[in-house]
Amino acid sequence: MRATLHLGLRGLRAHKRRLLGTFLAVVLGVSFLAGTMVLGDTLKSNFGTLFANAYAGTDAVVRGAGSIKADAGPAGVRAPITASLDQRVAVLPGVAAVAPSVSGAGQLVGADGKPIGGKGPPTTAGNWVTDPALNPYHLVQGRAPSAPGEAVINRGAARSGGLKVGDTTVLRAPDPVRVTIVGIAAFGSADGMGPSTFTGLTLADAQRYLLPRAGEVSTLLVKAAPGTSQEQLVRTIDTVLPAQDEAVTGAQAAQEDTTNVSSGFLSVFTTVLLVFAGIALLVATFTIHNTFAIVVAQRTRENALLRALGAARRQILGATLAEAVAVGLTASLAGLLGGIGVATGLKGLFSAIGMDLPTGGMVVTTSAVLVPVLVGTVVAIASALLPAIRAGRTAPVAAMRETAVEAVGGSRIRTVLGAVAGLAAAALTVLGATRGPSVALTAVGSVLALAAMIVLGPAAASLAVRVLGAPLPRLRGVSGALAARNAARNPRRTAATATALMVGVAVVSLFTVFGASIKQSLDDTVNRSFAGDLAISAPSFGAGGSGLSPRIAPAVAALPQVRNVVALGSGVAAVDGHAVKLDVTDPKALTGTVTLGATQGAVAGLGADGIAVSRAVADRYGWTVGQALPVAYADGSHQSLTLDAVYTDAGVVGDYLVTPQTWAPHRTQDSDTLVAVSLKQGVPLAAGRTAVEQAVAGFGGPTVQDRAQFATSAAAGIDMMLSVVYALLALAVLIALMGIANTLTLAMHERTRELGLLRGVGQTRAQLRSMVRWESVLVAVFGTVGGLGLGAFLGWALVRATDSTRTGSFALPVPQLVVVLAVGMLAGALAAVRPARRAARLEVLRAIAAP
Amino acid sequence: MSARVEDAVKIYGIAATQVRALDHVSVEFPAGRFTAVMGPSGSGKSTLMHCAAGLDTLTAGSAWIGGRDLSTLNDRQLTLLRRASVGFVFQAFNLVPTLTVLENITLPLDLAGRGGREREADREWIDSLVDVVGLGDRLRHRPSELSGGQQQRVAVARALVARPEVVFADEPTGNLDSRSGAEVLGLLRTASQELGRSVVMVTHDPVAAGHADEVLFLADGRLVDTMSAPTAALVLERMKAFDRPPVGSAAR
Ligand SMILES: Nc1ncnc2c1ncn2[C@@H]1O[C@H](COP(=O)(O)OP(=O)(O)OP(=O)(O)O)[C@@H](O)[C@H]1O
Ligand SMILES: [Mg+2]
Repeated sequence: MRATLHLGLRGLRAHKRRLLGTFLAVVLGVSFLAGTMVLGDTLKSNFGTLFANAYAGTDAVVRGAGSIKADAGPAGVRAPITASLDQRVAVLPGVAAVAPSVSGAGQLVGADGKPIGGKGPPTTAGNWVTDPALNPYHLVQGRAPSAPGEAVINRGAARSGGLKVGDTTVLRAPDPVRVTIVGIAAFGSADGMGPSTFTGLTLADAQRYLLPRAGEVSTLLVKAAPGTSQEQLVRTIDTVLPAQDEAVTGAQAAQEDTTNVSSGFLSVFTTVLLVFAGIALLVATFTIHNTFAIVVAQRTRENALLRALGAARRQILGATLAEAVAVGLTASLAGLLGGIGVATGLKGLFSAIGMDLPTGGMVVTTSAVLVPVLVGTVVAIASALLPAIRAGRTAPVAAMRETAVEAVGGSRIRTVLGAVAGLAAAALTVLGATRGPSVALTAVGSVLALAAMIVLGPAAASLAVRVLGAPLPRLRGVSGALAARNAARNPRRTAATATALMVGVAVVSLFTVFGASIKQSLDDTVNRSFAGDLAISAPSFGAGGSGLSPRIAPAVAALPQVRNVVALGSGVAAVDGHAVKLDVTDPKALTGTVTLGATQGAVAGLGADGIAVSRAVADRYGWTVGQALPVAYADGSHQSLTLDAVYTDAGVVGDYLVTPQTWAPHRTQDSDTLVAVSLKQGVPLAAGRTAVEQAVAGFGGPTVQDRAQFATSAAAGIDMMLSVVYALLALAVLIALMGIANTLTLAMHERTRELGLLRGVGQTRAQLRSMVRWESVLVAVFGTVGGLGLGAFLGWALVRATDSTRTGSFALPVPQLVVVLAVGMLAGALAAVRPARRAARLEVLRAIAAP
Repeated sequence: MSARVEDAVKIYGIAATQVRALDHVSVEFPAGRFTAVMGPSGSGKSTLMHCAAGLDTLTAGSAWIGGRDLSTLNDRQLTLLRRASVGFVFQAFNLVPTLTVLENITLPLDLAGRGGREREADREWIDSLVDVVGLGDRLRHRPSELSGGQQQRVAVARALVARPEVVFADEPTGNLDSRSGAEVLGLLRTASQELGRSVVMVTHDPVAAGHADEVLFLADGRLVDTMSAPTAALVLERMKAFDRPPVGSAAR
């Protein structure tokens, strides 16, 4: 054991430089993993603190009992409660104070005329609760609102919007409300509740603008008298509440909000990041494996000598593993430190694209320390396992042989096995994409494809290098020819080096293809189903924004240039037990501007007791036209709606259509998401647009777009997502390139004598560098082309497999993929810079005399 | 005149560990002459060849090839000079394993970018070289598929292909049996006699030295003797003198 450890550590010292690449690969992968976990924990704790503070003085909350949470919504939607309940609660024993609370969406317009926030965090408005104990905000400047049109805004909103006390601006609620800022508030010591914005109005104003009906409030906030516990208080209040309302403790309300965020937004957020950390680690595994494989091959003679001198197999194996453990462990620990940096960097990345996250101290949990260190070490050991076993198997006679560095081709069995797996993978993937379609089948096929690619690697590498390298001699003379030969001399190694890059590039191209296809689908959808000339919308993202004023549609309809206007609003309900988002619209106006594709039944004839759904939904649940569907609303009421029509194109309108009459009794804050406009025949687009723009300018300045712009803006979110994905994948690609550089360095070391000979025979330093560079470029291009092919194929399969209605489009973004290829080539050349420089620095005589 | 060193001094290491590998050596290797360099191990034979071929630099004195002072050339110029005017046969590891026999032979031309029309002009020369080394049927083979003697013959052909002024060969027959050795020696001899090259060869073998026009004897970095029109017997006799403790003047 001692001898083993000693040998391993001595090996480590002797090969410090060679293992540098391994070390860095682990450091980067672990940094990413640790950073993600730290960021996740930190955000969770920050959100927890945020909500705990929000309910700090509140002992009980009275609210509507029913809650419906459609997939997209951040929190469940609840019906408002009767305002007069507060009197009944106030007189109860143990109640110290009651404050009615109104809350809704309200986006402020800044001093520059642009809306504040809206790119993720909520933009909220409500009443300014006068009881300081029940109001998590407190004034830092000015006074509370007391007259109609007066407002307090949080300090963060004031800062980013350039607003100050005394300013007048517009609150989009979403119907524009002119407000005068009379005070600035802080949330504890912070500028606001995280990055969200808040506008506090008088209770009367809040009720008027944020709730649909008079005499209602969103919730009641209750403070307990000294000596009364939150639970006691809730039990007491429950006795006077009507059936459709409920009371919960302040602690529970905070907990629910925290859970909502962490199981929704946060879990998606961290899962996505973890997936990318996983990709980086997978790529790192290839790099590490390759390094150890080469080091072991180069040490064959040394190990054989040790075996000849009496070292046991286990000791040689153990020595290599000890090296891996040492590298894995130290690199993981270094990665942990890097993780803190990554967490900060990721936060910066997201705020750079406008997705602000709450701030607060870093939270480093035990699992965020242990898991990355463990994963990093295990990855290092697992990667070194096969090479270590091979080292242990070294025959003592190998000490007498020249180190074998000649062509180690893929074995025939391996090639056959790979080909079979590849064919099976392709068949499964295509089947999943075309029949069914089945995402599961395609996913299994994709994983199999990746495995087949690894198995086929060496065979593919020798073929690819020969093909790709064929023009090199003509382009770069003998240096090019030598580069191609060198890349082909050990196909297994070339394959392992390129595979790391291939995985990275495959994921990049998969996302590129997938993103382009979604954009294409959106574009096609708009072209196919949007028959209007102009679209009015209020762009926002996540929980931000407040939508469009419901008064826009009538105002635009009154214009002489306009033929037809349709407004789309939204609501939530449980249809046949499924919580869904309803799309609320006037069916007659709708069919004038939006094409719904092949339709069964008549959407235009939809009545107040009818509903129309998309083909996808009808197929999924097996609903047929004429069937009665039970519908439940958040306010506790039930209704049976008849399925009047089933339509194909749900792209613009959504999956569930109901009339405004159906939704009106259950509505909360009034807002539209889209207003589509058709101009009269003969009205030029520009003129119609100007007229519409003027008409809507007074409603908080929403965006007016023509069809092309509307299609583009629908796809804008995709571009943002893609840029985040690219940034996250850059790390995996960087690790892969380090792998190439590392393999090259090791190969140069192996070929020292050959390099000396070439120089002796008259190869200039520049020629030698070019030889190394082109070898690297060849390997990189092989990896990139392989990755592009695999990624594009899997991208196609995934697009098809996820497109159950067969209405989506597939797009192969050739320019982007060409850029990826060019970047791959360039990166290959970059990876060669250091190895080439070191190789060129060799002294001819010393190189030739090298052992 | 093709190559010469003048008052050459080469010192390895510093201070206490200093080794004087060449100690004021002056020697000429004229065109058309086949020179053998002999001497005990560590006497500076390889060092002399390396410095004369521009693979290494002298500590003092000067080395010339075709009238150019090597100390005035930078790395690139030296490389180009080696490519065009010097052929070198190393003792071992002479061939690039990834290249075929033919590619190894033409490597200096390929590095110089002499393809296309120029290659047509070289074609006859390459063919005759291949003929001379007698490996016409192995041209597409890799070096690993050749015997040691065959490899050395390829190396000699490679050293001659660019029609260099000087050919240096460091123990080219060191690892070869007498028949293979004779083939290599015959090649070197042809190069000097028929092609008019200056050929310099280091050897420990009196028989090999017997093929040369002149033999130089080195000891402790000094040129101690020369012998014209050597035969194996004369060389052997002269070498025995080195084994005895040095007496009086060594030079004749
Ligand atoms: N790179 C070096 N560093 C230090 N000393 C060196 C170096 N190369 C050669 N020497 C020393 O210089 C002296 C001459 O070496 P050289 O290789 O020229 O001898 P040689 O005559 O070729 O010997 P051999 O017949 O064994 O090849 C020797 O003492 C040797 O130890
Ligand atoms: Mg020597």
